Amino acid sequence: MNATRHLASDEIVECVFPAGDGPSAVPDHLGTCAECQERVANLREAWLLDRGAVSGAVDDLPSGFWEAQAAATMVAVRTRAAAPEIRILPARARGILRHPVLAFSSLAAALLLVGGLSLVRSRGAAPAVRTAAVKSMEKTPALVNDASDDELLVSIDRVLEDSSLAGFLVEETL
Amino acid sequence: MSGAALAPVLAFPGRNGAHPDERHAGLVSDDERVRKRERETEIRARVVAGDVDAFEYFVVTYQKRITRFIYTLLRDPADADGVAQDVFVKAFRALPDFKGQSAFETWLTRIAINTVRDHIRRRRPVVSFSELHADEDDDGPDLPAAFDPADGTSPERDLLSRDIRHRIAEALVALSPRQRAVFVMKHYEEKSIAEIGEATGLDEGTIKSHLFRAARKLRERLEDLR
Repeated sequence: MNATRHLASDEIVECVFPAGDGPSAVPDHLGTCAECQERVANLREAWLLDRGAVSGAVDDLPSGFWEAQAAATMVAVRTRAAAPEIRILPARARGILRHPVLAFSSLAAALLLVGGLSLVRSRGAAPAVRTAAVKSMEKTPALVNDASDDELLVSIDRVLEDSSLAGFLVEETL
Repeated sequence: MSGAALAPVLAFPGRNGAHPDERHAGLVSDDERVRKRERETEIRARVVAGDVDAFEYFVVTYQKRITRFIYTLLRDPADADGVAQDVFVKAFRALPDFKGQSAFETWLTRIAINTVRDHIRRRRPVVSFSELHADEDDDGPDLPAAFDPADGTSPERDLLSRDIRHRIAEALVALSPRQRAVFVMKHYEEKSIAEIGEATGLDEGTIKSHLFRAARKLRERLEDLR
């Protein structure tokens, strides 16, 4: 490094706020330049004051404050513990809310896929198959109904032919 | 309950988080740390088993340290209290999932970082006009009153110090929440890179990158300072 050049502001910052563990290497120039030493000292002092200030602002709070704060926190914790675990939305729904674009584009892709497959199937399927399916839908219920009607009528005829049972039925009705 | 049940727990010489001064003074020994960890494992088991009041140990032990950390990040005392409370409620909820692979304090710090991040995201992103004027009228930033350099060697030096502090605070607030957390842990809490990595889940390279960016932001703020 050029020992006669004043430190740049990033070098000043690096002196006070090194990125690694431990202190940063001190530039040679700093050993001889009072002006740069003062700039580093000013920044270091301001930072230490700031650190002391934020720390002091919290640490100097009276113990009563911390007792009250702890009590309030425990009230919140107990309230939380007493409340049942309520999940308004399942994890999947929360995922949709977090990433709506992704969710809806996935849905659109799925719909396109289903639609495309249906189209291909409907074009590829033979009309004969469809006709057979329609025919079976038309015929099957009627055949079943006719058969069951026949059975019912036959059984009623048998019952009526049985006179003793017929008499019993008449007595009960009266 | 809770005094009686917690009495033996609180008798443990726990401190409200190891402040840098304490760490340097060697007040927290390795033995103490091991015993503390064992004790916390026991208390954690009690809480998970349903003893809600036992959680008070964690609140009492860590509330000051967590509040200090949050306050350094947010620079707003009103927010810091509320966010700190949120951190403990979240920790209580997540305690059954905590496997004890890291120290409780490290785990709690991670929750604090995430809670602060969420808080910053939720917070109003713009400055109102009245606040803008208030800032212009005000001589300094929203810095804590404590430790004001009123006993400095000269008014000029005090003013300069105050100006630099203002710029440091501005630079910090301009950082992303994660960069801010890394910077504060490194330079305000004097955590090592490894400790920061444990608390944030970031690798060393990423941490150094965040520190570099934070330093660059500081440099930008301090550019014209002579």
